[in-house]
Amino acid sequence: MTGIDGCLADAMTVPGARGASLVDWTSGLALGAVGTWPDGDPEGAAAEAAELARTAFENFAPAAPAAPAPAGAPVEELVVTARDSYHLIRFVETSFDSSVFVHLWLDRTEANLAMALFRLRDVTARLVPA
Amino acid sequence: MSADGGIPAALPAAAAPPGDPALDTLDRLAAERATGALHGRGGALYLADGVVVHAESHAVPDVGCRLTVGGRLPAECWEEAVARGGPGHGAGRFLVEHGRLTAGELELCHLSALFDAAYFVLCPLDRTQRGPQRFLREARHWFGPVRPVPVPLLRRETARRARLLERAWPRPEVDTSPVVPVAGRAARETAARGRGAVLAAADGQRTPLQIACTLGRSAFTTLLDVRRLAAAGLVRTPERGAPAAPAPPRPGTAAAPDITLLYRIRDALEAL
Repeated sequence: MTGIDGCLADAMTVPGARGASLVDWTSGLALGAVGTWPDGDPEGAAAEAAELARTAFENFAPAAPAAPAPAGAPVEELVVTARDSYHLIRFVETSFDSSVFVHLWLDRTEANLAMALFRLRDVTARLVPA
Repeated sequence: MSADGGIPAALPAAAAPPGDPALDTLDRLAAERATGALHGRGGALYLADGVVVHAESHAVPDVGCRLTVGGRLPAECWEEAVARGGPGHGAGRFLVEHGRLTAGELELCHLSALFDAAYFVLCPLDRTQRGPQRFLREARHWFGPVRPVPVPLLRRETARRARLLERAWPRPEVDTSPVVPVAGRAARETAARGRGAVLAAADGQRTPLQIACTLGRSAFTTLLDVRRLAAAGLVRTPERGAPAAPAPPRPGTAAAPDITLLYRIRDALEAL
């Protein structure tokens, strides 16, 4: 299984994973979501994560550069450490126009943050090779 | 995902007023599990067994434009996929089977184009136009299905996009007018990546949709950027009474082969 469903299934094999989704952050649309989500509402979770992602993407982008900007997105990942869980957001870079990220929600007692970040990079690289 | 769920109470029912005949038609076709193309002035939605498999609108860069303008695929690759995959309604699948794209890239690019086109089909920029009404049964699109979208999800997303535009700057006239950078202010703009590109492409002649086609970029995202730039006072509409600039040709679509038009005509004829 490849594509979006395969990517999300891969993400769910990360130890501690509760839910995984692929979200368009321009509008907050969940293009795919698996696992469990707060209030059983993957679309609501996607919309809220998109707000966060958009804020980070737009505010942490480099100021209008005099020289050409280095290749790549200005922000790669966001990590939110909640009391009992982690939210990992990894932007997916494509060489055509898109604005998507993978959102992985993890149980904090079961997850290893460093390993989860490493695995998430791998998962997104399989969706869209660098 | 909960794509098949009902419309949550927290969201407005639809972008268009309640009882929009186009949305009623779309709901009925979904309930009937219909296959075919729902045509309107703004473009068409293609359904297979009641789910949306493709959308196209002349207002929006299509998949080929998105893939070739940004340099992801050479134009010949795209043309080959249309010519060889199109007759079997599988141009998209051809790109993956021949190693031109990964399945993930195809899905992302196609979904982006689908939601983008569907927005302009269901909410035409010209408010006097009606939504799509004419359904051609059994019509199939030459691109072929990639990742089908349930009708309720499409309706929710279209409503959300209309709301985002309204919230950014509630003046729809900026959507259809040439985008004029405000002298002095625009140069200091430190906008985020995408919006900076839109601002750079604003030459006082191109409309937001022409900018989208030039950049191979989502038309909705470009519209949203233009509304935000207008809200920030960085762009404006042309002076009233100024002579209308001739519309430049739509770059980015020039390379699109006529064969796509032929497929559309064939699909329409087959559906008769």
